[in-house]
Amino acid sequence: MRKSMNIIMAAAVAMAITGCASGKPAENAANQNAATEAAADAKAGTGAEAAGADNSAAGTDAKAGTDAEAAGADNSAADTTDGASYTIGIGQFAEHGSLDNCREGFLQGLAEEGIVEGENLTVLYENSQADGGTASQIIDNFLAKDTDLICAIATPMAQSAYSAAKKEDVPVIYTAVTDPVLAELANADGTPVGEITGTSDKLPVEKQLEMIRTLLPDAKKIGIMYSTSEINSVSAIEEYKAAAPNYGFEIVESGISATADIPLAADSLLEKVDCINNLTDNTVVSSLPLILDKAAKKGIPVFGSEIEQVRIGCLATVGLDYVSLGAQTGKMAAQVLKGEKKASEMSFEIIDEAAFYGNNKVAADLGITIPESLSSTAAEMFDEIVTE
Amino acid sequence: MSIILGVLEEGLIYAVMALGVYITYKILDFPDLSVDGTFPMGAAVTAALILKGVHPAATLLLAFFTGALAGCVTGLIHVKLKVRDLLAGIIVMTGLYSINLRIAGGKSNLPIFSRENIFENAFLEQHVPEAWSPYTAVIILFAITAVCKILLDLYLNTRSGYLLRATGDNDVLVTSLAKDKGMVRILGLAIANGFVALSGSIYCQHKGFFEISTGTGTMVMGLASVIIGTKLLKRFGAVKATTAVILGTIVYKACVSLAIALGMEASDLKLITSVLFLGILVASGNKGRKVKAHA
Amino acid sequence: MLELNHIHKYYNAGTVNEMCLFQDFSLTIRDGEFVSVVGSNGSGKTSMLNIICGSIPLDDGMIRINGKDITHMPEYKRQRRIGRVYQNPAMGTCPSMTILENMALADNKGKSFNLRPGTNKQRIEFYREQLHMLGLGLEDKMDVKVGVLSGGQRQAMALLMSTMTPIEFLILDEHTAALDPKTADTIMELTDKVVKEKKLTTIMVTHNLRFAVEYGDRLLMMHQGQAVIDKAGAAKQQVRIDDILEKFNEISVECGN
Repeated sequence: MRKSMNIIMAAAVAMAITGCASGKPAENAANQNAATEAAADAKAGTGAEAAGADNSAAGTDAKAGTDAEAAGADNSAADTTDGASYTIGIGQFAEHGSLDNCREGFLQGLAEEGIVEGENLTVLYENSQADGGTASQIIDNFLAKDTDLICAIATPMAQSAYSAAKKEDVPVIYTAVTDPVLAELANADGTPVGEITGTSDKLPVEKQLEMIRTLLPDAKKIGIMYSTSEINSVSAIEEYKAAAPNYGFEIVESGISATADIPLAADSLLEKVDCINNLTDNTVVSSLPLILDKAAKKGIPVFGSEIEQVRIGCLATVGLDYVSLGAQTGKMAAQVLKGEKKASEMSFEIIDEAAFYGNNKVAADLGITIPESLSSTAAEMFDEIVTE
Repeated sequence: MSIILGVLEEGLIYAVMALGVYITYKILDFPDLSVDGTFPMGAAVTAALILKGVHPAATLLLAFFTGALAGCVTGLIHVKLKVRDLLAGIIVMTGLYSINLRIAGGKSNLPIFSRENIFENAFLEQHVPEAWSPYTAVIILFAITAVCKILLDLYLNTRSGYLLRATGDNDVLVTSLAKDKGMVRILGLAIANGFVALSGSIYCQHKGFFEISTGTGTMVMGLASVIIGTKLLKRFGAVKATTAVILGTIVYKACVSLAIALGMEASDLKLITSVLFLGILVASGNKGRKVKAHA
Repeated sequence: MLELNHIHKYYNAGTVNEMCLFQDFSLTIRDGEFVSVVGSNGSGKTSMLNIICGSIPLDDGMIRINGKDITHMPEYKRQRRIGRVYQNPAMGTCPSMTILENMALADNKGKSFNLRPGTNKQRIEFYREQLHMLGLGLEDKMDVKVGVLSGGQRQAMALLMSTMTPIEFLILDEHTAALDPKTADTIMELTDKVVKEKKLTTIMVTHNLRFAVEYGDRLLMMHQGQAVIDKAGAAKQQVRIDDILEKFNEISVECGN
């Protein structure tokens, strides 16, 4: 038993070492492509350089003889198309509906630009399950596999990606980062701090407040629940507090530190407010059905911050569609991959259009009529509450 | 190459933390859970101080001291208020969550990308040749870890260090030596948590930001590293325990990296950690001692 | 001089299981006395030692050393003047530290445990001589961890360590009980030698009646928190093992056994 453990450990170390070698052939294959192109262009200088790379490729291949399987797999991915082919790493910070939509949209956006997974795109996907330490190891792993680009979903992942990838000059495209400036991923004027750019899921706070005022003309206090560990929520709260007086509202905040705090916090908040407004806070969103249930019993409307939340029973939102946010991000990534623009040349983008989403069923239950002025502009109206 | 560098960097950052866990778990025989709070505490202190313009190198020391202070609190709760060791750690860990948020100015995430740190600063840019730059982080981390290790080794061979070792080994003897074993425990916890916070400070500067969630699982990671190091590496000859702990951390990180590289789901990582942990405990055949000691 | 004045000690006070251990117990031990204490289980022998050392608190009464009240002094502070050897050989040494380190630890008793080197190299020769006195060959194993030594070897070291620095009292808590008869004899002889050499005031609790009779210049027999035999000097020299056994039987009859 002892001996076998030792062998396993030794194997683990050995494989960690060969694991990085297995990434090499893919690069070499790319280099070979470059070499043929360069030869066609008859540019002596680059040709010689590429030939050098070619030699080293042969050397590595010979050394990595035992690793043939892994090398073969990587090569086949590179060989499927005669044009450029890419490997990207997608690191997602947490498992969460909105973030999943982001990822889906991102791949759609890339596909619209002709970069299709399985054809000319290899996607490595990892989820750090909200663990900061794992996030940075995921990025290290992407870098070791020589990804052409890293897509980081949510703020901590984007920060991990930036801090590791800048050493290796691998561009990072982020999405679902609420405030890139506050996260120091962008300068105050929106320009990137390095080879990193992306999209922000900043909530359209003013439009949301305006919508709430239209639906609830007499409401005074808006309750917002958020987790103190999520920076996005903290900055959103600040923004709501600043804007609320303009619409005659007062914000009642309730900070929680764990999912377990939510039931009590919800009860106490519901005693004090006329309606609840929900952010994109991961912890709170994951317990949203519970909050909706408690609110419904008291006849207090809950507003959402994106389409998914309205689908599962929030009254309405002027919010984001994370799929289109992801798609917008995917298009930016395509530009970088194709070499049209560098990440450092693009400012981060905010979603172009925030749309109104409403739920007729919820409105009927609460005895609220959604006025024509809103429903006519709605991107989507739901007639039922989807509970999965 | 970059994965090896990555594993070395991660391993060396956490090795300092593992040295702290080594002090509490191995030397003091005290399962100290407060490290889950002191690790991010070191990071929070560092981020907040660097934003205030404090020199990055100085934040390392200051992080050590705040960590040591938190360790003292755990010790005082345990010794003076007679709260069980595990519970004392849990109390401090829980309290530190809020304190860490306070330190970071109410923010759960505090980036310091735009500031100089011990890995990226004008001095290094001027003096380190371009070709070396991929390795500077590893070299700096190696230097810090080596200094910590050597200082700890030296300390453990002082009179005070002897007493610390005796406390974990046989605290009756410490009383016989007319010394207050409670004070020695508090001292040990302070030093251990100082190391853990120092590790958090290095982590924060290496990653470029403080994030409240980074402390989760620190204790388990530290324990796994200490046990891998002391149980497995000791067989390969007369390696000093502190060296074994550092190597154990690197091996641990290599295993995690390998698990990710092999395509394991991140959601399964914790299970892999616990299985690895159990496997090593069983393989090293020394599982009885702790059980007996607490029976 | 050690004085126990009107000691009261109850276990589980205030409950149905309340058990009175000492009720108005007083004892004076003069400097240089070697007191052997015998008695049946639960007679209060070890509790008396624990009370002297401060391991358990008192309900009432006063303890004085050389006239100074130490009743409320914490255990670890009292130990500065006291050396104690336990029944369990593992209690007196640190198993994961080497013999040399253990000796150095004991040698530093009473000094400040600061950042100076744990082992003073100049003292090594002294430690070697001390270990040589034990006649167990430990002086050649200075770098061996104490954990691998036998119980007898550890107990010998514990005795050496507890008497290495100047102390006023030596407390022996059934310190030969866990050893085989031959080792027990060796340790007992060694104890006598050390006590005589250093002129220590000694309290030895033992179940070995032969040791109690042969060694020491005062004999105490404890029963239900009182000294039922207390003989010193010439009277002690005349006590035979049979006398003690007889008393034991008498007590047993009283208790209805």
